[in-house]
This record gives sequence, C-alpha cells and structure tokens, in this order.
Amino acid sequence: MNRKHLALLLLAGCVFVVPKLEAQIKHIEMRVEGMT
Amino acid sequence: MKQHLQRQSGVANVEVSLIDGKVDVTPKEDGQIEPAQLLKATYDSGVSVAELDMTASGKVVKDSSGNRSLQVKPDQSFVISPNELSKGLESLLDSSTLVTVRGQLYKKPAGKQKKAEASVPLKLVILEVKKE
Repeated sequence: MNRKHLALLLLAGCVFVVPKLEAQIKHIEMRVEGMT
Repeated sequence: MKQHLQRQSGVANVEVSLIDGKVDVTPKEDGQIEPAQLLKATYDSGVSVAELDMTASGKVVKDSSGNRSLQVKPDQSFVISPNELSKGLESLLDSSTLVTVRGQLYKKPAGKQKKAEASVPLKLVILEVKKE
C-alpha cells in the first residue's frame, strides 16, 4: 500500500515538474545600425 | 531606443549592447509581442535594423494561400520561407505537435539606405530547429 502511494506521489511530482512546451515567442534578437 | 521598445506591449525586458549593436528582447510570459511593432519602434527611435531573429514555439499550419506558417497564437502566425530546414517541418504540418525554431524574420536589403517598410509582412527563414 505504501509503495502504491509512493509511486502515485512520484508520478504526480513528475507531472508538475516537467515543463510544458507552450506556443509562444521566446526571444527576439535584433542587430541594429546607427546606435550611439 | 530601449525605452521605446520597453513601452511595446508584450515586452518584459530589453538589453542593449552598444559594442556589437545587439538588442535582446525578452517577451512577457503571457503577453503577445509583435515583431513588426518592434521594427517600427526601433526605426521611430532613429536606429536602423539590420536583422531581426526570433526564437519561437508553435504549430506548423497551412494558411488559406497554401503557405506553411508557424502559428504561435491563435491570432498570430508567421509565413515560413521555404528552405532545407523548413522541409523537415513538413511532417508536423497540421499536427498538434509544437516545434521550437530559431529563424530570421527580417534582414535589411543590401545596398539600400531607404527605411524598410514596417507594414511589409515578415517571412520566417528557419535557421535552426531546436530539439525539445
């Protein structure tokens, strides 16, 4: 029983820890000229 | 220019490197950033943009004209300019799989001093497909 609970706890932990890939612009980089 | 860019919607942070003329823009997590607006804001501040690169995650979709696009929001997508790397994305077309790519959205035309037209639709030239 304890092992089952432990396994469920680990599974739940993984669901929350694994970062979810979301559709979005993550970064923009520009190279500019004429900046002083 | 930094203040100009930071005022744009969806912008979390702007880092400017005077030495190499590099501007790094970090979007807000939940905001919608519009690269064309960043181009315009940069020109408005009196600085010329040579290149604009973007890293984004999204779905590969086919638009009404049959072009492949990277859709990053339901109302925001970028037409993908065909190249060798974009061919590799064909298998993801119209699937729900998200892909992260680095691509060039704008490059100043060689030999022209005239300001780029901010209203011209930006095409995404895929430079790198990131594995995630």
